[in-house]
Amino acid sequence: MSKILKYDLVALLVLFIIVLFGFPTFLGFDGYELNLYSRYLSLGIVSMALALSWGTTGILNLGQAATFGIGSYIMAMHLKIKGSADLPDFMVWNNVDVLPWFWVPFHSLSFTLVAGLLIPALVGGLIGVFMFRARISGVFVAVITLAFLVAFQLLVVNYQGYTGGQNGLTGLAPLTLFGWTVDTYSIQFYYLVAGCLIAALVIGLYLVHSKFGLILRAIREDANRTRFFGYNVASYETVIFCISAALAGWSGMLYTLVLQFASPTYMSVSFSLGIVIWCAVGGRNSVIAAAVGAIIVNILQGKLSDVYVEGWHMMLGATFVLVVLFMPRGLHGLVGTVWHRLSQRKADKKPQTVLSKKAKTGQTEGGR
Amino acid sequence: MKRRDFLRSTGALGVMGTAGGLSAPALLLGTSSASAQVLGDDIPVGLLFSLTGAVAVVEHTLHDASLMAMEEINAAGGIHGRMLRPIIEDPASDPATYADRARRLMIRDKCISVFGSYTSASRQAVLPVVEQRNNLYWYPTLYEGRECSRNVMYGGAVPNQQQDNVIAWAIENFGPRFYLLGNNYVYPKEENNYCKSLLAELDGEAVNEEYVPMGHSDFSSIINRIRTEKPDVIFSTLVGDSDVAFARQYLAAGLDPTQMPVLSLTRSEVEVKAIGGEAAAGHFSSAPYFMNTSTPENEKFVEAYKSKYGGDAVTHFVSEAAYFQVYQFKAALEKLDPGNVTTETIRAAAVGTELLAPQGSVLIDENLHTHLWPKVAEWQSDGQAKVILDSAERVAPKPYAAYEGQTCTGAGLVET
Amino acid sequence: MDVVFNQLFAGLSMASILLIIALGLAIIYGAMGVINLAHGEFVMLGAYTTWACQHYLGFGILLSLPFVFVVVGAIGWLIERTIVQRLYDRPLDTILATWGIGIMLQQLVRIVIGPESRFVSGPDFLRGNLEIGNVVMSNYRIFVIFFSIAVLLATWALLTKTEFGTKLRAVIQNRSISECYGIESKRIYSLTFAYGAGLAGIAGTLITPLFSTIPTMGTSLVVDAFLVVIIGGLGSIIGAAAAAVMIGELTAMFSLVINDTLGRIGVLACVIVLIRLRPRGLFPENTRG
Repeated sequence: MSKILKYDLVALLVLFIIVLFGFPTFLGFDGYELNLYSRYLSLGIVSMALALSWGTTGILNLGQAATFGIGSYIMAMHLKIKGSADLPDFMVWNNVDVLPWFWVPFHSLSFTLVAGLLIPALVGGLIGVFMFRARISGVFVAVITLAFLVAFQLLVVNYQGYTGGQNGLTGLAPLTLFGWTVDTYSIQFYYLVAGCLIAALVIGLYLVHSKFGLILRAIREDANRTRFFGYNVASYETVIFCISAALAGWSGMLYTLVLQFASPTYMSVSFSLGIVIWCAVGGRNSVIAAAVGAIIVNILQGKLSDVYVEGWHMMLGATFVLVVLFMPRGLHGLVGTVWHRLSQRKADKKPQTVLSKKAKTGQTEGGR
Repeated sequence: MKRRDFLRSTGALGVMGTAGGLSAPALLLGTSSASAQVLGDDIPVGLLFSLTGAVAVVEHTLHDASLMAMEEINAAGGIHGRMLRPIIEDPASDPATYADRARRLMIRDKCISVFGSYTSASRQAVLPVVEQRNNLYWYPTLYEGRECSRNVMYGGAVPNQQQDNVIAWAIENFGPRFYLLGNNYVYPKEENNYCKSLLAELDGEAVNEEYVPMGHSDFSSIINRIRTEKPDVIFSTLVGDSDVAFARQYLAAGLDPTQMPVLSLTRSEVEVKAIGGEAAAGHFSSAPYFMNTSTPENEKFVEAYKSKYGGDAVTHFVSEAAYFQVYQFKAALEKLDPGNVTTETIRAAAVGTELLAPQGSVLIDENLHTHLWPKVAEWQSDGQAKVILDSAERVAPKPYAAYEGQTCTGAGLVET
Repeated sequence: MDVVFNQLFAGLSMASILLIIALGLAIIYGAMGVINLAHGEFVMLGAYTTWACQHYLGFGILLSLPFVFVVVGAIGWLIERTIVQRLYDRPLDTILATWGIGIMLQQLVRIVIGPESRFVSGPDFLRGNLEIGNVVMSNYRIFVIFFSIAVLLATWALLTKTEFGTKLRAVIQNRSISECYGIESKRIYSLTFAYGAGLAGIAGTLITPLFSTIPTMGTSLVVDAFLVVIIGGLGSIIGAAAAAVMIGELTAMFSLVINDTLGRIGVLACVIVLIRLRPRGLFPENTRG
């Protein structure tokens, strides 16, 4: 077991304890607050999904909100059908007389849950094949994903009769899982979301620490050299893009459950760049740190935006600039450096520089 | 302004005004949960208008008008000697946050009513919450109708109150060919539905019906189409920045307002301030209130508003409703025995309430919408409106006017 | 047929606005490989500076132009000196840092000037239209088209005919060797960034009479400018011009045959496909050794 894996497992355990016992106790098991924290935890998953493609593989996806939005709408479609006696109300308003064919399968919960992972993955896969087969990388990936996001949001808003348009999907029924009607203000629901987050992190960690993850990091460091070694870089990139999209869809489904609402604002450019911010603040090179970044930034936003109505955005922008400038590896890098210095002092053995540790784990200052 | 400071200042007001209410029994509050709440000596109400984000420019004025009304009421001794305690939330122009904060206001802060929303999307987001919690939501904005909730008090105009006499007037004065232009969401579409039904009755025609994305800013193609079609009237439901950009490009394109004026349902003093008087002059808006409506109530309202928020502040047809709805709420509570305040009793007391608003005497219908005084005004180059068509009588709200066989009544939606 | 001509003119008008916004971005990107997401905010600052000139000093738009160029250029220079300069070896990170800068600039304007839309009146002598047969062209839009062509030519001259341009091209070709010849590459970069920002400011001035001036106006503009630069090819100003004309005309033609919403989606789809087919842009230049 490598040292870095040990660190990650310890971090996961600590996070597990905080999320499962720390938060609820700290919040006094208050329903409203638990719901708020469920929201933060669900966003942790999408931030972690971005860390897989961006931090690990070096693919900066500025359109992550699109797959997140697909997931959230899929869940909302199921709950909307469930909550409507016959046709969903907004369809009646838009003179849609029969339930469109692509809505019909969402009567079934199991189909919905599978589709919420597979459809985003499929979309991610298509975009991935489209881009990576042409060996497009770096800034161009950022532009294509951004353009796709803008176009996708316009589409969703435009077809009001099928999507609810600008209003999104509101008036959703509560979810029923195995006969249990989910109350989103309960500790059980909070544990459901927390369980999802931990499960997603375990999947992410497994991927990163497998041989597959090693090749992804090789691609980040030097795609051409990896190609010369005989690896099919485009396939690896596409697969991780798919996985990242599926996780984003999962996160979106939970987000709809928490807020009981799906809105086109989940697919806005600012939300998408928000995900990038959380991931960067936490630390793009570590899936756990990325999730923690999302949780921390959102907690702060919840606390500060009430107090500093106008100043909050200023702080967010400033924090972000400072993080990019001085902490390119986010909080994760900061903790790593401090930890390293401390353990050096303790061990008092021959000095081991931060650099050599980095060389071991294949991390570089600033991802490309 | 920090929320806490604000609470402190109103708290001080509260202390001043409690003398009358010491011996009165506590207000009881009913929600869907069985446990009734015992109130202290104040009345918690929610204010849910965006103070930041895209729609903050307009919603801030609604927030200001509501707050001013509450402070006036508290300064005059409150309701049954109890002070209103406004709890302010900022949903930051994001519909999902509206739903979330509405829940917070109703569950955690135990508000007996919430005042809020401007956009249809945010109202739609709050609607399930307020119905689920069986609370009351006071919504001041003109909207598309086709809604009949028993938990929303609608203070703004519905399509029939903005269009009934106006379309006939426009056909008579300019001609029958209308170009319908709006942003791509539910409000413009419903208004245009109603407009088309009126045009069909009056032998008018809609030469084109066009929707642009929210925030769309380049109208050169549309202006070309308008030139080609040569409509008599441009019937506009563009909102916010799209409206501003369209008005400026109309001017830059050298089109003539006397030949094809814009008749807008959404352009108020706020938009005109941004458009500039020069580009707005000669176009028309239809609404129940304009800033220079000459009634004693309005002069008082405008003067108070300006002295509180600065000399260049403007009032408009939504902020006026945000203002009078607080007074309607007060009138309803005053009819009640302080020991029996629930959503049901407030609603029952509110129906039939009539009071002198800045626009004239307004009445709450049993369908929870408001009887209003529609007007048409021509914008002047000083950014003010000149009312040129005033309704002879108050117009009743018919939220389902465009739909045969559906009526919104005191018992909810009735299908015949 | 007149309809088509009118639409072609509308497309050209959109293209000229796009070009003047994107030009600064293209230069910055070409010179340093920096994608500046705060570029939209520079446009916004230009619009607000114009408003301030008109509101407090009574200047017309044309008189404000040099002021705006200097003010926004100075802001750009400051930002380059303090932040962007540290990120030249991390191109993807500049996207993130400049996004953060953009958020801060927006908020600053909101706090200092206020969130409501501001009004700037256009020049009086450019009222009305030029009519040739049934083709009607707004004078102000004609002016913007010519102005953007002038800016394009001036930029081209700056890069090819001046000492500064020669140095800049040298630095772009090979930074370390240029340094050996005594060219201060840092100074060149700062000036280039300032020039790009100044151009964005001028764009802001020119669009105020047509658009709504609000703190968030830059966000929607920057996406389109971004696309123009990428399609045009690495820092090629001719490429940027071609890409702007292409996007403007595509938008106008789509709008003619479908409508503005689906048209925009169509344009984005074309852009995505184009980047896929020609990842190096329409006019790739062999730079950045």
